[in-house]
Amino acid sequence: MNRRQISYEREPARRVFASELRETRVQFKEGEDEKSPTYVLLPSGVRANRILIVGTLTEKQRQGDQNIFYRGRVADPTGPFFIMAGSYQPEAMQQIARIEPPAFVAVVGKPNIFETPDGKSLLSIRVESISVVDRETRDLWVLDTARDTLDRIDAMGTTEDSQRAQEEYSIKPELYRKMVYDALSQIHL
Amino acid sequence: MTLSEVAERISQKIEAKGVSVDRQKVESKLRRLVDEFGVNLAEAERTVMSDLAREHKLTGVGGTSTEMHRIHDLVPGEWVTIEGKIVALSPSPSPSIAQNGIIADSSGAIRFVAWSRGNPPEMEYGQWYRIESAVINEYRGAPNLTIHSGTTISTVESDVPLIPSITPIAELRPGVGSVRAKTVQDWDVTHDRMLQTGLLGDETGTIKFVIWKEDGKEKLEPDTVYNIYYAVVDEYNGRLSLTLNSAMYIADEGDIEVGRNDTGASGVIVHVAPGSGLIKRCPVEGCNRTLSRQNYCPVHEIQPNFRYDLRLKAVLDDGTRARNILIQRDIVEELASLTLEEAIEVAENNPLGMDEVFIRVSNAVLGRYYTCGGNEFDGRLLVNRCAPMTFDPAELALLLNRAGGETA
Repeated sequence: MNRRQISYEREPARRVFASELRETRVQFKEGEDEKSPTYVLLPSGVRANRILIVGTLTEKQRQGDQNIFYRGRVADPTGPFFIMAGSYQPEAMQQIARIEPPAFVAVVGKPNIFETPDGKSLLSIRVESISVVDRETRDLWVLDTARDTLDRIDAMGTTEDSQRAQEEYSIKPELYRKMVYDALSQIHL
Repeated sequence: MTLSEVAERISQKIEAKGVSVDRQKVESKLRRLVDEFGVNLAEAERTVMSDLAREHKLTGVGGTSTEMHRIHDLVPGEWVTIEGKIVALSPSPSPSIAQNGIIADSSGAIRFVAWSRGNPPEMEYGQWYRIESAVINEYRGAPNLTIHSGTTISTVESDVPLIPSITPIAELRPGVGSVRAKTVQDWDVTHDRMLQTGLLGDETGTIKFVIWKEDGKEKLEPDTVYNIYYAVVDEYNGRLSLTLNSAMYIADEGDIEVGRNDTGASGVIVHVAPGSGLIKRCPVEGCNRTLSRQNYCPVHEIQPNFRYDLRLKAVLDDGTRARNILIQRDIVEELASLTLEEAIEVAENNPLGMDEVFIRVSNAVLGRYYTCGGNEFDGRLLVNRCAPMTFDPAELALLLNRAGGETA
């Protein structure tokens, strides 16, 4: 088995709520190669190289003179995500340019942790694609994300990644259940 | 077989368990038993083997060389003794390989390779042999019987008729397999040396097959059921295929209702790949390849009389697995609310041309939830049904309960 060729497999897009992603501060790389994927370790115990969020684009800003890039905020029921698209993501940049906030959007992107000059760590999502969706898609995403988050909490301690997450974050499962519950209860407001 | 050869064989077996041994010591122990005590060589080997095993607290080494194994049960890493019939011999690919082929007993079949260095006796097709102290290695993901310098081969008289057991296609594993299957597709060969390639199917699924050009090899007839004995099952990029050159194939009466490998998947379309939307296809009979923007077909060159088609190449992601999917025209028309005729009109009257159709189709599906079904083939789900997912209040209630309704 060891020498079997490993065929390229696309990393799945993890579903995660904003308030969990805000707590995320562990970033690591699998393998030494320059092109090895980078992951963040989510507090609920799974690695994510790519994530999917569906929420409301509440604001966007065009920044930079020579290197133009866009920043934006996408809110889900638990809080805001910070997204950005630069000249290395031309398609994502053009997609953002066309969208006028507020709008329901689906964002696929890669989470990245930055150190701010004052020593805080900041997580933002480098957008691969962003598209306008409808309220029903948002609601479906909340259900989907609630289910995946609960599944991860239930599996806490049974996988290598989740054991590591327990050491790094020492999270309280009941707080995460509360977060999921609160997110779900906002669906039909 | 000489004392030092036997000593070598014992040492190798012990070393395979991760313990180093002194060959001279082993040989002197053997010599003492044989010369001083008049023990025959086989018994001396067994004694020294089990002594060493006890000394190093090893299990599964003593006595294994003479115990008979069923071919079906062989796993890589074992030293084995089998009795089987040579059911296929292949041309040797290299001077260092004396013979290679397939040996079978009533339980199953395995590929074997006999290295020239060990000077193995030549084995004949159709003859039964007893092969002692061979090693099972793994070659390209499949178990492989290796005949080396320490292996003893003797002919066995057997008139037991050997009936290969048929394996359902869905249960094939890398190695050797016999199937009863129907030729469901015949593809263009992709290589000069290839005689035929296509798809075989039985009730449980389908598998790609290949026959390489070789004297006496015949093509399979389309839509015909065959009994195929001792084909080689290869694995490449996680997919299996059957190579029929080692196999005997006999057309059979009757018909098979071929199973469709049907799989379903739900998730979000997270990526729409280039080559989606409006495309041009080669009009040459039976070609149907996608043309470049300049109407160039890789086989039939410039084709100004192309025909248009709509399709969607995308990734459907359920949060744990990202699947490539391919959706054909009729379903794309539904999902994007855009008919082929409308798409052609858009492309011909818009400054962005075909790109405008790509953007429209992409905007309609990207980031949305769908449930799709179809045949998984070549690492891609060929979708034959697909519908948007709808919000289910029962699911919401269920999840609220799971998250702990009482805390609210």
